[in-house]
Amino acid sequence: MSWLGSIGRFGLFCLAFFRASAGRAPPLGLTVEQAYRVGVQSLPVLMLISTFIGTNLSIQGYNAFQPIGGQGLVGMFVALAGVRELAPIISASIIAAKAGTEMASQIAVMRVRDQIDALEVMAVSPHWLLITPRLLGIVLVMPALTMLSTFVMVAASYAAAVWQLDLNGATFLEFLLLASAPMDLLISMGKALCFGALICMISCFNGFFSEGGAEGVGAATNRAVVMSAVLCVILNYFISEAVYG
Amino acid sequence: MIELKDVTKSFGELHVLRGVSLKLPMRQTTAIIGPSGAGKSVLLKLLVGLIRADSGEVLCFGADMGRADDDELYAVRRRFGMLFQDGALFDNLSVAENVEFPLIHHRRDLKPSQRRDRVMAALEQVGLPELADRPTGRLSGGQRKRVGIARAIITEPEVVLFDEPNSGLDPVTSDAIDGLILSMKKSLGVTFIIITHDIVGTLNVADHIGMLYEGRLVQFGPTEELVQAPNPILRRFLQRNVSLPDPGHSGFELPSVRQRAM
Repeated sequence: MSWLGSIGRFGLFCLAFFRASAGRAPPLGLTVEQAYRVGVQSLPVLMLISTFIGTNLSIQGYNAFQPIGGQGLVGMFVALAGVRELAPIISASIIAAKAGTEMASQIAVMRVRDQIDALEVMAVSPHWLLITPRLLGIVLVMPALTMLSTFVMVAASYAAAVWQLDLNGATFLEFLLLASAPMDLLISMGKALCFGALICMISCFNGFFSEGGAEGVGAATNRAVVMSAVLCVILNYFISEAVYG
Repeated sequence: MIELKDVTKSFGELHVLRGVSLKLPMRQTTAIIGPSGAGKSVLLKLLVGLIRADSGEVLCFGADMGRADDDELYAVRRRFGMLFQDGALFDNLSVAENVEFPLIHHRRDLKPSQRRDRVMAALEQVGLPELADRPTGRLSGGQRKRVGIARAIITEPEVVLFDEPNSGLDPVTSDAIDGLILSMKKSLGVTFIIITHDIVGTLNVADHIGMLYEGRLVQFGPTEELVQAPNPILRRFLQRNVSLPDPGHSGFELPSVRQRAM
């Protein structure tokens, strides 16, 4: 199918979802389950990656500014790159790789095993039952995950700056706070929310229209993670450009 | 009333149904037979609105399933129950939870204990009450079909659709499923529509048979009449499975369960 056709199909899929879910209470138990799966199960790996992204931010910031005597600006570099950009993007990448692939493969398996058709025949909207809890679950936890990622990243940057690079901790924090405001955290959470919704809809869409048995499940999962990652990065640029540009 | 009027359906260059017209008798059992790729499963999916016809009308209880909106489709589907080829059971739910699923969504007036009673009654009917709490991943093919049947009848639908109820089953289990359909036919008194290429089972169970061949309905009628029809395609298809009387001969006996096992 052409790109244009896929976009049209995705639009119709989203429309069908909104029509099926509008004004209807979400399945609460499934929503809590999805929030747990996305949030708690993704947390350890996200924290680990955020830690090492944070340390590397300090190291590369130091390498960039040290030749011109500006190593004190590392805190500012961490604020601009880490808080504003990397934390939401890293969170989105981890969620796309873990929760997104899980959503796509689960729904794709349901498709190839006729379970989605069975829901339709039982007059239960698969859009409502399968997508609503996943969307709510991911949207609920993504901002929180991004906040945690931000704090872990900054803490790791600080630790690397002070203990490894022997920079002044007070200076680091001063420039960090100079370059970032509470609004940056809110914008970062807003980005995360958008990324979460995008990842969920793209993953569910790919799972929903999977075809061709086991090979189709693999292809749908692969498409879901690639499309999610690419579109989140592109969306991130446009949000940053609109807010900070 | 369920009726197809000059229905066509293609997938790209593949013409699956080419002008099929058919009126399905209510409160009776109709089997649609035909070789693989004849369009049987497509016909079933058209009936429940899972796919839409390219042209013609698929009328179910007054709604044209090809043009109905979601609300209309769901209203009609509540009057249907369907057994899918491998059961289409939800892997994360137990047997009882699978059977209870439609009740949870459509019979909110029932208390959990009442739902449980109905689930156990349905499982009794298909002979699996002892497996109520078993995960569906640990069921055999025949057991999956039975659970699928229990789920299909739990809401007391007016029409039950069976998509290849014998596919992938050994002859003994196949006979057991046919026996189950026969007993339900007597006890429920609803409309059964069976898509199959299992001729022996069909002749035992169906009141009416329609044969699809290359997207066309080449024959439709009462079972007793159909086995004596001179249509060469139909006879060739049936003769691969059972021995038929000469066209017009009145002394045909339905094949017994033992014939399949042999």
